[in-house]
Parts: sequence; C-alpha cells; structure tokens
Amino acid sequence: MNSMKFIIKFITVCYALSISALGFAANQEVEIVIQDHLFFPSTLELPAGQKIRLIIINQDPTAEEFESYELNREKVIPGNSRTVIFIGPLAPGDYPFFGEFYPRTAQGMILIR
Amino acid sequence: MFLDAVILILQEIVEAALLISVLVTLIRLLRQLWPTEFTLGYFWLLTSSVFGLIGSWLYARLIPTISLWFDYVGLEVVNALIQTLIIALLLVLCYGLTKSRLQKYPKLNQLISILLTLVISLGIFREVSEIIIYVGGITAQPENVAPVMMGSVIALGIGASGGILLFYCLVSMPSRWALRACMILLALFAGNMASQACLLLTQADWLPYTPELWNSSSVLPEYTVSGQLLYALVGYEATPSALQFTCYLVAAFLILISPLYKITWFSKKQSETD
Repeated sequence: MNSMKFIIKFITVCYALSISALGFAANQEVEIVIQDHLFFPSTLELPAGQKIRLIIINQDPTAEEFESYELNREKVIPGNSRTVIFIGPLAPGDYPFFGEFYPRTAQGMILIR
Repeated sequence: MFLDAVILILQEIVEAALLISVLVTLIRLLRQLWPTEFTLGYFWLLTSSVFGLIGSWLYARLIPTISLWFDYVGLEVVNALIQTLIIALLLVLCYGLTKSRLQKYPKLNQLISILLTLVISLGIFREVSEIIIYVGGITAQPENVAPVMMGSVIALGIGASGGILLFYCLVSMPSRWALRACMILLALFAGNMASQACLLLTQADWLPYTPELWNSSSVLPEYTVSGQLLYALVGYEATPSALQFTCYLVAAFLILISPLYKITWFSKKQSETD
C-alpha cells in the first residue's frame, strides 16, 4: 500500500514538472539537407532557450540516421524523404551531430548562442 | 566502413541479446523452482526469432511510410508504442506468473510462451529493422558489400557472445541470487525502454520538454565503449530529462514490487509454495 502511495506521489510530482515546461512551443523552423552523405548547412547558429523544429530533407537515395549525443536525438531518415525532429530549449554551447550510417562524411554542428 | 558497420550493428543487437539472455535464464530458474507446475519449454525462443526477423523485414519496408505519419514524427510514435508494449508485456509476466496460478490454470504455460514470443519478437524487430535499412542502403555501392557483410557477421558474433556470457554468468550463480539478478536486470531493461519511449515522444513533441537532470558527458560520454555498455545494461544517459528519469524509475519500480520479484526475497520454502 505504501509503495502504491509512493508511486502516485511520484507521478504527481513529475506531472507538475512536465506542466511547468509546457510553455515552450516550437518557435523556429530550420531546414537541413542531406546530399551525397553531407549535411547542408553543416553549421547552424540558433538562439538559446527556444524549441526548434528541425526539418531534415534526405536527397540521397539511401537512408541516413541523424544522431547527436549532445542533443540526445536519434532518427532514421529513409532515402528521398523528409522528417522532423524537435530540439531544445537548449543552453548556449556547441552541439555536434552526425549521420550514423555515413559518419565519416555526414557531420555538422549546431551553435546555440 | 568495416568498423562503422561493426559499431552500428553491435549497438543495435546488444540490447536484444541481453534481454533474450535474461529471459532464458529466468525461465530456466523458474522451471527449477516449480518443476511440476512450470513446464514451459524453449520453443518460444525459436518462434520469437523467426517472427522477429520476419517482423524486422516488414517494419524496415514500412519505415518510409510510417515516418510520414503524424506530421513526420510517426517513427517516434510507433517506436515508443513498441517499447511501451514490451514493458506492458513484461509487467504481465511479472504480475501474472505465480505458482498458485500455474497450479490453478495449467494453460498459463502456453500464455507465457505467447507472451515471451511477443516480447522477444518486438525487441528484435525494432532493433534489426534499422540494421536492414542500413545494410540495404550501404551495400548499394558494390565496394561496401564485403566490409559491411564482414562487419555484420563480427558484430552479430560479438553481440551473441555477450548474451551467452551473461547467461553463463547468471546460471553459474546460486539459483536464488541468479533469480534476483535476472529480476533486477529485467527492471533495468524496462526502465531503459520507458526512458527511451519518453525520449522519442519528447523528440516528436508529443511530450513536453522537461529540464535536464544532470550532465555526466564529461565524466562518462555516451559514445565510449563503457558508455554504450552501460546504456545497454542499465539505460545510461549522460543528459537525461526529468521526465525520462521519472519514466525509468516508475517502470523499474513496478517490476521490483511485482510478485515475481518478491519470491526472490522470501525463504526457499515460502517461494516454492507461492
């Protein structure tokens, strides 16, 4: 019984935490193109403290996986298709990203200022 | 290309290999604990591998379509749903499997077999579909075929060896400790899956942003071998959000208060009658 009470309290606290962060709506859209296993642009400068909608357009016929440990994001993008990834709000800093399927060429950086 | 293939494929299969290993050990230990009631064989391992591989191929074919759903975040939503379904099935196993129920409903053995088949099939097909997409794309260039195929075989060998090693480590322990270790690992895997599901839904903007709880990337970066191993074993994240951490704790906690976990704490005599 005590453990159930603990779970309910815990969920309530977390729910409150989530609600407190609901004010962040995506207020910027940015496009990144994948072509010949390269990101274009490979460097983007974006504002701190904002949620950003990244639109990634894969123009290659093969799939790529957008990955960033620093952004905590990972997503497969099929060939000749587009996708959306939400990032942020982020603190100022440098956030590298890469294509996991072609990591030697597909590399980029998001600069949050 | 060879090394990239080894790393990528290993990352995908380690999680599934460890989950299979823990479930096989758990079933083996429960068969020893309840020899007359728990008569489940290991056929589910074969069926789940077959269904998992067929499912992977189908899912890989569907990914281009799924990724267009819900304004281009379909992949996150479906993957989060798969993770949640696996957790739910693990909870059914941990809360539904008791000796008294097995005595009352002998057909429970068959249900557990179906449940395990579903858990492992889902675990395999989410991970392996990504490998199929990767290998399918990269081997379109003929010069990549040999290194990627060799890398795939080596990664599969290392992943399978990891699973087998964990199995032998667990079965070499005294039964009660092994059972406890299996349940703790299962709780950590469930926590990891809940955290991943939460992360996917946040990435899709279906769950709100919550602040980062800590940043241990300077101490133990996720991309290092130890970081990756810890990720597969305990769901290590260098920068988890508050919501991710909460989902992790709730899922792990639910397994750790389940009747199946409780039998590892009672005396041998009690657990045999439970």
